[in-house]
Amino acid sequence: MTGTVFDIGYQAYTGTREGRTRSRSAIYKDGVRTALGLGRGARAKILPWFFISVLSAIALVMALVAGAAERLGGPGAAARMNLPSHSDFNGIASIIMFVFAAVVGPDLLSPDRRSGVINLYLVRPLTGTDYIVSRWLAFLTVMIAAAVLPQAILFLGLSGGDPKPMEYFTKHWVDIPNFIAAGVVMAVYATTLALLAASFTSRRAYASVFLVGLFVITTPFTVGLAEEVAGRGGQWISMFNLTNIPVHVNDVIFNDVSEITKDAPARKLAEWIRVVWYFAWTIIPAGVLWWRYRKLTP
Amino acid sequence: MSTGQVLLAVERLTKRYGDVTALNDVSFRITDGITGILGENGAGKSTIIKILLGLVRPTSGTATVLGQNAFDDVAVRARVGYMPEHDCLPSLVSAAEFLTHMAEASGLPPSMARTRAADTLRHAGLFEERYRAIGGYSTGMKQRVKLCQALVHDPAFVFLDEPTAGLDPAGREEMLSLIRKTHREFGISVLFSSHLMADVERTCDRIIVLQGGQLVHSGEVAQFTKETETVFIEVDSNREGLVTALERRGVVVTAERTGLTIEGPDHSVYEHVRDALVEARAPLRRMAPRRRELTELFEREGERK
Repeated sequence: MTGTVFDIGYQAYTGTREGRTRSRSAIYKDGVRTALGLGRGARAKILPWFFISVLSAIALVMALVAGAAERLGGPGAAARMNLPSHSDFNGIASIIMFVFAAVVGPDLLSPDRRSGVINLYLVRPLTGTDYIVSRWLAFLTVMIAAAVLPQAILFLGLSGGDPKPMEYFTKHWVDIPNFIAAGVVMAVYATTLALLAASFTSRRAYASVFLVGLFVITTPFTVGLAEEVAGRGGQWISMFNLTNIPVHVNDVIFNDVSEITKDAPARKLAEWIRVVWYFAWTIIPAGVLWWRYRKLTP
Repeated sequence: MSTGQVLLAVERLTKRYGDVTALNDVSFRITDGITGILGENGAGKSTIIKILLGLVRPTSGTATVLGQNAFDDVAVRARVGYMPEHDCLPSLVSAAEFLTHMAEASGLPPSMARTRAADTLRHAGLFEERYRAIGGYSTGMKQRVKLCQALVHDPAFVFLDEPTAGLDPAGREEMLSLIRKTHREFGISVLFSSHLMADVERTCDRIIVLQGGQLVHSGEVAQFTKETETVFIEVDSNREGLVTALERRGVVVTAERTGLTIEGPDHSVYEHVRDALVEARAPLRRMAPRRRELTELFEREGERK
């Protein structure tokens, strides 16, 4: 039996065109894939999955330690030993989250400008606002996953490690909305600052180095200066410790004090001031980011 | 076959950047087919394309694509393609993945985007290479991927900004052939900007010529070719006598360094040349049709003004 191959030539597209909604979702989907290195070579996957693995490993170790303490030290041993909780996890993980955002976040914006792909997006049924909002949401999704997944592992580990898992669940279920809310707070902050830095350069490495430097330098600098100045002035200087800004809100959500904020002079300021400060550090950078892309032309 | 439907309309378009006038009171209409927009660097070609795509607001005048102003309604861009002059391709992703993404970004559903990406790459001769990262492609292949991303969503109209820039003669020939195929086989109309007259002449049905932001010519390529054609004559001796004999026959002659140029020749010119050569007893060394260079044409337009 023989077959014949026919070249049916060019076929015009007569199907549906889903317009701007599909365009936005394409940019969002591509952003998530870029952030996780999906559809790219192995090198592109190393960094994002390394950070997600480290965060998950910390949660797993915390759950295992708590579980072991309960089994070896008897019921309530973990609480008596004051082992790190969901609230503490965000304090411990915040610096890793920020480095993750600093290293991976710029990958969603800078290469588009460097390679010129942005010019192709802007001639499609999209505006600069559509582009930047879709990219922001894409990275926010990845950051929320990176913040909440380890907390979920920790919760499951603590429940499983408790001699009475169902009792633990009914007593601590309120931690679930709390760690989701705290994860979102952390993710919004890190996403916005990472993309804002990336919007100023077409070189990903410059944005990453700037962000890591910003977080690493401001922490010892503000801590030292706040101690020197003391009083109200010291409290406000402490507010410029960029690593602590979302952790203060985390403390408000859990009604607890994290290990990394317990000695911060900023804790003496009213809760509402720390919350407003967090919103200022997310809304203003988000506005600047939007303004930079609003009227972008190739 | 042309239907005569107006796809692009530009009316009294002016664009100023501070004190610099990029476009000055330009008007034209483009129907289906391949139209070349010819001009030197800085003539305003890219500015017109950007205004038509709705990326830049004009200072005054109107510009519509498929009856819509793309600045006010970005939805019309779903039916328009654009191939920029400069680099615009990611290096780490494969052509198949990139084109699928670009088709989705133009509003096609994901399953159709994948099919269209494969089909477009097949038509551009890149099907076998579709899963290789674009960074490993040659310049010619990258240009073809750039064209593919402009066609992947099956637009009604495509803008090509200097599509042959940076290509070797073989790559240039392939690209021009693909552009012709884009209209003749795919039915997609093309506006093709270039500063190379030969490319426009060999590919386009109509031509728009810009100089310093002003429209200096708009019409059929055949007519433009006729208007810009010259005959070059070189004789061994008595050049002055030949000039006198030609002028006596009403032929306009320009003396050049090595010979004589006759503007806009028609059939009778060859008879006049033959008779003038005999009369002046000037031995003919060479006679050949020639085309004015673009820069030369613009200088002449400037002189006329």
